[in-house]
Amino acid sequence: MAVNPTFRTPVIARPTPELRDKLEQMWKDKPGLLGWLSTVDHKKIGHRYIFTAFIFLIVGGLEALGMRLQLAQPDEHLLTPALYNEFFSMHGMTMIFLYSLPILSGFSNYLWPLILGTRDMAFPRINMFTYWVFLLAGIFLYIGFWEGKGTNVGWFNYVPLASRAYDPDWNVDIYSLGMIFLGISTTAGAINFIATAFRTRAPGMTISRVPIMIWGTLTANVGLLFAVPAVSLDFFLLWCDRQFGTHFFDPAVGGRPLLWQHLFWIFGHPWVYAIVLPAMSIVSQALPVYCRRPLVAQSAVVLATILTMVLGFGVWVHHMFSTGLPAVAMGFFSAASFVIVIPSAVSVFAWVATIWTGRPVFTTAFKFFAAEVVLFVIGGVSGFMTAAVPLDWQLTDTYFVVAHLHYVLIGINVFPVIGGIYHWFPKMSGKMLSEKLGWWNFWLMFIGFNVGFFPMHISGLAGMPRRIYTYPASMGWGDLNLVTTIGAFIFALGVLLFVINVVMSLFAGRKAPPNPWDADSLEWATESPPPSYNFAVIPQVGSLHPLWEGRLEEKGGRSILEEGAVLDHEHEIPGTTVLDAEPDVILKQPHPTLAPLIMALLIAGTFVGMLLTMWWVAFGCMLAMIPALFYWFWPNAETGWEIRA
Amino acid sequence: MSTIYEEGTLPRPLPVGKAGFRTSGWWGMLALIGTETSLFAYLIFSYFYLQSQNSQPWPPSGLPPLRYAIPTTVALLISAGTMWWAEHSIRLAKPPRLVIGILVTLLLGVLYVILQFLDWKIEPFVLNADAYSSLFYVITAAHVLHAIVGVLILAGMVLWSAMGHISPQRYAPISVAAMYWYFVVLVWIAIFVTLYLLPYISPH
Repeated sequence: MAVNPTFRTPVIARPTPELRDKLEQMWKDKPGLLGWLSTVDHKKIGHRYIFTAFIFLIVGGLEALGMRLQLAQPDEHLLTPALYNEFFSMHGMTMIFLYSLPILSGFSNYLWPLILGTRDMAFPRINMFTYWVFLLAGIFLYIGFWEGKGTNVGWFNYVPLASRAYDPDWNVDIYSLGMIFLGISTTAGAINFIATAFRTRAPGMTISRVPIMIWGTLTANVGLLFAVPAVSLDFFLLWCDRQFGTHFFDPAVGGRPLLWQHLFWIFGHPWVYAIVLPAMSIVSQALPVYCRRPLVAQSAVVLATILTMVLGFGVWVHHMFSTGLPAVAMGFFSAASFVIVIPSAVSVFAWVATIWTGRPVFTTAFKFFAAEVVLFVIGGVSGFMTAAVPLDWQLTDTYFVVAHLHYVLIGINVFPVIGGIYHWFPKMSGKMLSEKLGWWNFWLMFIGFNVGFFPMHISGLAGMPRRIYTYPASMGWGDLNLVTTIGAFIFALGVLLFVINVVMSLFAGRKAPPNPWDADSLEWATESPPPSYNFAVIPQVGSLHPLWEGRLEEKGGRSILEEGAVLDHEHEIPGTTVLDAEPDVILKQPHPTLAPLIMALLIAGTFVGMLLTMWWVAFGCMLAMIPALFYWFWPNAETGWEIRA
Repeated sequence: MSTIYEEGTLPRPLPVGKAGFRTSGWWGMLALIGTETSLFAYLIFSYFYLQSQNSQPWPPSGLPPLRYAIPTTVALLISAGTMWWAEHSIRLAKPPRLVIGILVTLLLGVLYVILQFLDWKIEPFVLNADAYSSLFYVITAAHVLHAIVGVLILAGMVLWSAMGHISPQRYAPISVAAMYWYFVVLVWIAIFVTLYLLPYISPH
């Protein structure tokens, strides 16, 4: 029978050692440095994201410890005022932009194809590109720091303080260009996640069988798609004002400083949800495993997640209540900020009910997830309080807000992330983390965090403003600040124990079985760590909990994991339809290539040229992107182009 | 053991590679257009925001001339038609028309870029005159940049069509490029109305 080369019926079989060998040869990277630079393997990209973001967490944490030492007692002189400005600005920028989203991208990059039961993301090269851009933008944002040219007017960088007249050196230029640079990574990553979720799920993973972890990240990334342009534009306009004398923020000739704040917070508030929703979905995915039952009200949690993101675009003005806006506007945004509590609370009640009706196993991961629920409630309530305009007038720019945002960001991002690493470390590395060290790790972090940050509520109510480098003893804030500093160091000790645990376990940890926690989702159906091709045969999904079927009295089909589509002609994965996940194409995925690295370097060159105002460098790099992109997209058979002999 | 597959799932003949209409590229382009459209939405938001906050005349230094803006709009509208015609032709298995269609679209795109440069030369204000002029140039330049990217995409499509990588069975890259070009044209309409027409209709 003549075979039509553009159509093929996938062979269905059980995995054999020969098939595994063949797939390994196809999917493994080239050896050596070239292999390291050219890989497009989502697992390696995930590792790199997590590692790099964690380094930024440590750097940002050291900056925080420096500030805490300075503030431990009144009238200290450890840091100069100028250096203190840089410390708090770099700390905010690092934690918010270089740690909190990239670490979640790391989890998602590593886990998505495994959870979705496939072998790669929709756009593996774009995936690698986003990492290189993130890394280079992170370095770019730090280049000035050692020379006293780190950003120094706070992470939200208000004009006119951030304009050339008041901040003439490179500090804000680096921040502005670096943020536009980093936005490319975020946006390209969002596009990749969206296409992956809608296109490359395993056959049978209908929209109602998509695990919650996917929903959280997908929702956040759809939000980012619409939010990131606001901040990129804002920083671009500021850079133009500083560089070319334009007048976007100059009230003398029609500009408005508040335009900066609007664009910044139109982005900024959705961003908050973009860095907590995926972390919340880590909890929703992994907490039920330790409660030995499915998440309570999963559909409600999914809908609440999406609703939170949508409402998140309508609350930005609550960051601007003290700027003298019309009362009607403030009333509307205050009400919207109250309403957004409702979908957020749905998740909290679902987690509590899951623990309540489950049979909890008190592992370290469980403790981190349960702590997240507690800290979320505290951070949520203090946020709810500041949604009231009169109270916000009293509390804005005080340590109360600092306490609130750290309860939110550490409580809902760092705690789920560390818990998530305890949960998925066996899968990612093939080794178990020590539970004994984990106990100390958790309690030091939990106690240290609360000792450190809870008193900030009180110092804020006592009137201590944010962003002051010191305070006189007569203010009476000394004791509270000393407690905060002690707590911060206990917390840091907890993080240090975590790092020690990871390093020790990597070298001497117990070997991990494929499914050490007896979890329900597909990533646990393959070996730990997974082979380069993830699954020897493509799973066929029949329910929301493929590995718990038979124990749950649930409707729906049965998943087929022991045999499936072989797809052993180069890098192939099934493409499936959006709602029903019916396979409709065999996708040809790209092989390792240097194109993403080349593009990222050219973009870096463009931004360096713009920073140094060496226009020919910037322009030359942009021109060089044209052949680079042609090289990237050049048609070849391995990526599924029609090539006629 | 025989395994039961749900209806519509695996063993059946499937196209291999860039087939069908909703390809990965289609999803990627849809998302890209989403994010770029919001960029222009924020630019236009900034324009109306500054206008609403202003008690001075708007535009401050005279109305933007329409001498080139109207031909630009006509050229871009025609280019959307030629793009559609090109994509339609490959569906009807007429590859030569495909190449002609894309080439004409590309040339109209180049014409637009030239006209916009001419338009900048006759504007009665410069980039750093005031907030209005700054926004005017940034909005129009952002669009020109997107159009140049579109022209480059179209150049790639011409090349690959000529090399025989596009066939009536597989023309997904053409559809994806067409989506981008329609986006460029639609955003221009929004810009044309906002920057060039509205000041004439409702002088401030």
